[in-house]
Amino acid sequence: MASDVQRRKVEVLVDAPLARRVIAAAEAAGVSGYTLLPTLGGAGRGGRWSDDQVTGAQAKVVFVTVTTDEKAAALTEALAPLLDSHGLLLMTSAVGVVRGAKF
Amino acid sequence: MVGGLGTLLSPVILFFALGAAAAFARSDLSVPEAVAKGMSLYLMAAIGLKGGVQVSESGFTADMAAAAAAGVALSFLLPLPAFAALRRFGRLDPLNAGAVAAHYGSVSVVTFVAGAEFLAATGLHPAGHMVAVLALMETPAIVVGLLLARRGGEAAAGGARTGGDLLHEALLNGSVVLLMGSFAIGLACGKEGVAPIAPVFDTAFRGVLCLFLLDMGLVAARRLRDARALTPRLAALAVLLPVANGTAGVLVAGLAGLDTASAAALGVLAGSASYIAVPAAMRLALPRADPGLYLAMSLAVTFPFNLAVGIPLRAFLATRLV
Repeated sequence: MASDVQRRKVEVLVDAPLARRVIAAAEAAGVSGYTLLPTLGGAGRGGRWSDDQVTGAQAKVVFVTVTTDEKAAALTEALAPLLDSHGLLLMTSAVGVVRGAKF
Repeated sequence: MVGGLGTLLSPVILFFALGAAAAFARSDLSVPEAVAKGMSLYLMAAIGLKGGVQVSESGFTADMAAAAAAGVALSFLLPLPAFAALRRFGRLDPLNAGAVAAHYGSVSVVTFVAGAEFLAATGLHPAGHMVAVLALMETPAIVVGLLLARRGGEAAAGGARTGGDLLHEALLNGSVVLLMGSFAIGLACGKEGVAPIAPVFDTAFRGVLCLFLLDMGLVAARRLRDARALTPRLAALAVLLPVANGTAGVLVAGLAGLDTASAAALGVLAGSASYIAVPAAMRLALPRADPGLYLAMSLAVTFPFNLAVGIPLRAFLATRLV
């Protein structure tokens, strides 16, 4: 059985027009692999929001990456100044992965 | 007034009203977002093609240059009084006032489409090149709104790289690319070349517009229902700005020597507020600005107002003044 290797998962909920900023920060931090997930809707301090492909301004996507602790720390550091201004929701967690060399 | 009660009882308006009523009644009626996006792409392609074919027949004229110059000038200038009104009467900070002003200087494609339908029904047929004017009017207001927000001391937040990104968003956003692209295709192919695909873009056009406006009614009403930032003063401005801007558009068109129908169309464009291209650009360039505010004003108040009152008002003004 393949053994688990500890890595860090970073998830960022971001407005779709601003996702490119998160991707640029990830690339600058050396994170080369990521996935963007669509969202349907939700609610937060700013009220309710929903997927809206017509105006597109408030549609949100979730950026997900699994990477090393160092790169995750670099990405978190890079995103810190944008958390308030860009309304990001940033989550990190420890995950076990197989084939650790891929992350 | 041109059209009178018939305007309010057209299928286009009634489908919009149906969507709004369903949303206010908290019905579970919904149009899948991907379908709504597809319909908006269809409408833009259809209106672009139609304009291109018309210009292929009329050729490039002095009127076309005059209309383009008038449209670009309006897009540059309209955000200025809007910004002042939003600051003084609307009591907005410079950041949000700049973001909202950009919406009112730019244009709404769907308002233009609905306006063109209304004008055609009343016997007014705007020149085909007004589609190109529409595309030209999208961008200048974004730049002016951004400058106004920054002049007020609100720099782009968080180290945002606005230059290249914003230019890309403003000049190459999907609606501009599709409008100008289909306009160019219509221009290149001409009436005969487009004839084989005309059934798709002509016959279904009004039906698709009705379904799209059903979705717009749902979206606008739900946004109005959830609009926390919309004060009575801002709601009033969301009605007054399109009236003032639309009147300015008709007057400028008259001064530029446009025909009555094209003057009405320029009035419709000037009086409309963007809710497709500008919100995405403002989200990118001014992330601290409240999207709930500018979308509530432009989409939930101004758009329905223009459908019901603004478009007929501009047609009336154009027939009297131009």
